[in-house]
Amino acid sequence: MGGYGDVQMIDENGLRMDGRKPGDVRPITIETGVVPVADGSCRMTWGTNEAIVAVYGPMEAHPRKIQRQDRAVLDVTYNMAPFSTTDRIRPGFNRRSREISKVTADALESVVLLELYPRSKIRISIEITSAEAGTRCVGLTAASVALADAGIPMTDLVVSVASGKINDVVVCDLNKEEDNYGEADLPMGVLPNSGELVFLQMDGDLSPDEFKQAWDYNIDAAMEVHKLMVDALKGGEN
Amino acid sequence: MAAPLVPKLLRAHLSDLASNDARLDDRGQWDGRETKLEIGVLPRAEGSARVTMGNTIVLAGVKFQIMTPYPDRPNQGGLMCSCEVRSIAGRHWENGPPSPQSIELGRVVDRGIRESGCIDVDDLCIIPGEKAWQVILDLHAISDDGNLFDAFALAGIAALRNATIPAERFEIGEDTPLKVSKTPIMCSYHKVGGRFVYDASYREELGGDERIHITLGDDDHVHSLQKGLKGIFTADEFAEIMEHAKSRCSELRDMVNG
Repeated sequence: MGGYGDVQMIDENGLRMDGRKPGDVRPITIETGVVPVADGSCRMTWGTNEAIVAVYGPMEAHPRKIQRQDRAVLDVTYNMAPFSTTDRIRPGFNRRSREISKVTADALESVVLLELYPRSKIRISIEITSAEAGTRCVGLTAASVALADAGIPMTDLVVSVASGKINDVVVCDLNKEEDNYGEADLPMGVLPNSGELVFLQMDGDLSPDEFKQAWDYNIDAAMEVHKLMVDALKGGEN
Repeated sequence: MAAPLVPKLLRAHLSDLASNDARLDDRGQWDGRETKLEIGVLPRAEGSARVTMGNTIVLAGVKFQIMTPYPDRPNQGGLMCSCEVRSIAGRHWENGPPSPQSIELGRVVDRGIRESGCIDVDDLCIIPGEKAWQVILDLHAISDDGNLFDAFALAGIAALRNATIPAERFEIGEDTPLKVSKTPIMCSYHKVGGRFVYDASYREELGGDERIHITLGDDDHVHSLQKGLKGIFTADEFAEIMEHAKSRCSELRDMVNG
């Protein structure tokens, strides 16, 4: 949140800089089977974001101390490639990636039927190859498609979308400029079949009405994106 | 990389295949896998390429930074080549500090590009002694089914040839294409079942012995060599590999120069 409220991001017709209406999401493509050596994989482009996710397993949990006697463990890593942003990212340890890896794992553990694979590990590697705001949402959504592509039993897919506020207007799916100068950001992870949530973060400033609007935008957008995910899983490329 | 158990059955099988002049995937001894090169695939990089060789897929991205020239070379910019093989690329790769394998990968690719002199570091100087461009080539593996070396080298040189110096973003003049005067190409050979083969797959690497990497520049000049892993080879074997490398490098060079 840069909080520079004086930058005009919504024109007199209520349209955003990239021509979208407040509730619109950016164009999305989803493709499965993009990492041939993995058990399941997904490439998702969302605006200028691109995430590639590979799933390996269930496999032996190693080292043994991470094993759980009654369930599988998820080993999730979210990583931004050095060339994914305007300024190069130095490879290596990074607090932001660690946190996103953790909340992504927390979300996915809520839907994967872990108890079917005691003492094993399922590895989910999320690589962001191009970043334009909302990469954690793209990573989580693509990860759930990759898990389905790997045939891992789940109670539902996870669709993650963020809404926020720019120039006091609530908008869905912020792009890079909107995210930099915006006043709030509310990413959510929705289970499209039940409407339940498995992922929630927020920062910024939203009034109760604005919060309700952002929430509703996210739910509606999630249902829309869910259709594309199902198409990709049923038909290969969408 | 977790040390895989040496699969004796695989080694025996590869040895049988070799004695019948065959390979796991029906290729001939000197045949490469189908190779695809795509340019400009990464919207946030200043130059980029994706190489697909069979089931091996890699990305290369070029970024630029401003550096202070080294005191002993005040008129020169820099070239850095960094390689990351993360857990996405295969179940035998782990995240964490760079493994010796991935460091070797990055350094061998780096030497081939650097020593060919394809990038003139004097040309990267902005203000002598104060400011110069540092070109950073990041190599990122997506899917490892063997021979990451050649895939990285090919994607690397193609990404550099595709790169634009983002001078406008740094407010020092107009964007200009990065000058790349030569096209170094790497060819790698693995000893599998007692004989060298070109472009080994992951299973061939797993059940094979030593490997040799050769980078040739324009006019077949040799720019980097590397022998890796345990094994012994003869001068005659090397001569045979070198002959093949000359013809294969020139095919791949045509693909890059397109």
